[in-house]
Formats: sequence, structure tokens, C-alpha cells
Amino acid sequence: MIQSQTHLNVADNSRARELMCILIIGVSNHRYAHIGDVIVVVIKGAVPNMPLEISEVVRAVVVHTCKEHILDNGMIIRYDDNAAVVIDHEGNPKGT
Amino acid sequence: MRLEKCWFCSSTIYPGHGIQFVRNDAKIFRFCRSKCHKNFKMKRNPRKVKWTKAYRRLHGKDMTQDATFEFERKRNRPERYDRNLTENTLKAIKVIDKVRSRREETHIKNRMKGKKSKITKEALKELDQQIHMIKAPGAMVKDASATTSAKVTVKVQHDTDENRMEE
Repeated sequence: MIQSQTHLNVADNSRARELMCILIIGVSNHRYAHIGDVIVVVIKGAVPNMPLEISEVVRAVVVHTCKEHILDNGMIIRYDDNAAVVIDHEGNPKGT
Repeated sequence: MRLEKCWFCSSTIYPGHGIQFVRNDAKIFRFCRSKCHKNFKMKRNPRKVKWTKAYRRLHGKDMTQDATFEFERKRNRPERYDRNLTENTLKAIKVIDKVRSRREETHIKNRMKGKKSKITKEALKELDQQIHMIKAPGAMVKDASATTSAKVTVKVQHDTDENRMEE
């Protein structure tokens, strides 16, 4: 359940440290993002002297949520943090 | 599909039940129901919580070492489907379950041996010491002199099978 102003950890090696959600891509008036949703984020913390900088607006896909995620087979998974992976507009991850 | 064990109480988790929690170090905790999940969130140690299997095994209440436990070990290599193998496995599961539960019952029975005699002994002792709670001390003395325990032998006629009336 990620909404705007939510801080997320970064789950890849794209040199960003912390992201803050601004918008959720998809249907307008989408209130919350779950695992697999694409969100627009601003980079709040980054490793210095690297391609991604603080206050840069990028897109990310949510990979971990503290709110339980229900799979199709009935399994419920809960993570310990909220995390996302930085992607570009095509959907390819920026990290490796 | 795989039947997992609950991290807290060690019961089997069937598909569609329970919650899996993935910690940041990638360790997965599976819980069978919210009771176990909530106890985990309270940071309780299952080895100290009396109704869990971990506590019972640790304190010798339940059987710990047995040959039947070897059958249930987790194997990570997927087996190629073989109809005979599946059929034999299903049959074996039933037999192993029966044997294991029988052995667990005997283990608990052996643990409880001597409990009944202990209870009666303690009850007699309590009766001796606390008889004043039931009868007044004065009444006890009067009763003792009145009843002279004369043993009377009574012959009991046992009904043999032949004499018993046919149903």
C-alpha cells in the first residue's frame, strides 16, 4: 500500500538509496500501489557522484510491501520493508 | 505444492492458509494462523511457549528421536513423476503415520506411568493431614471408639459363562 510521500528502499544497484513516491501510474485516482505497480518517484537519497542524483524524478516498480500481498494460489506474503526497483519509461531496470 | 511447517508451532500449513513473512535478510517465516503470527510479532520464543511442538520436544513431553521422522525430511530435488512411486508413497504415508502416532502414544503413556498411584498416595496423605477440614476433631474420636472394624467375609458367586443367561 504505497501512496504519495511514502519512502521506499531501493532494491537494485542503481546507486539510489531512498525514493519517495509521488504518483501511481495507471488508472487515475488509484490510491495505493501494490507489488508490481509502477510509480513515479523522486530520489531522496543517492550515492554521490553517480548518474542518479537527488531530486531527480524517475519511475520505479514496487517489489516489497509491508502490507500483505495475496498470490493467486492463496499464499499471503509480507515483507519487512517497502522497496522498489528504478526503471526507465520502457520498463527496463536502470541497475544491472 | 508443498506442505510447509509453521515456524512457531510446527504444524503443517496447507495451501491457502497462513501468512509468509520475508525478513530483510531473505529468511522466510511461515505461519499457520494469526495466533502464531501474532506471537512471533510479540517476539516470543517458541521454545518457551508451552503449546508449541518446539517446547514439547525440548522438555521431553513428545518423542524426539525416531526412525519414522527420517521419512519426512525435506528434499529439494524434484522427483520425476512415476505412477508406481506415487502410489507406493501414498500407501507408505498412511502406514508411517499410523506407526508414528502409535509410538508417540506409548511415549506419553510411559511418561505418565505411576501418575495414578502418585495421585492416590497424595490424596490419602492430604486426607490424613487435613481431616479436620471435614470432620471436627471431637467427632473423630467418638467415631473411632464406636466402630470396631470387624472384618466380614462375603462370598461372591461369580457367574460362569455357562450359567449366564443367553441373550
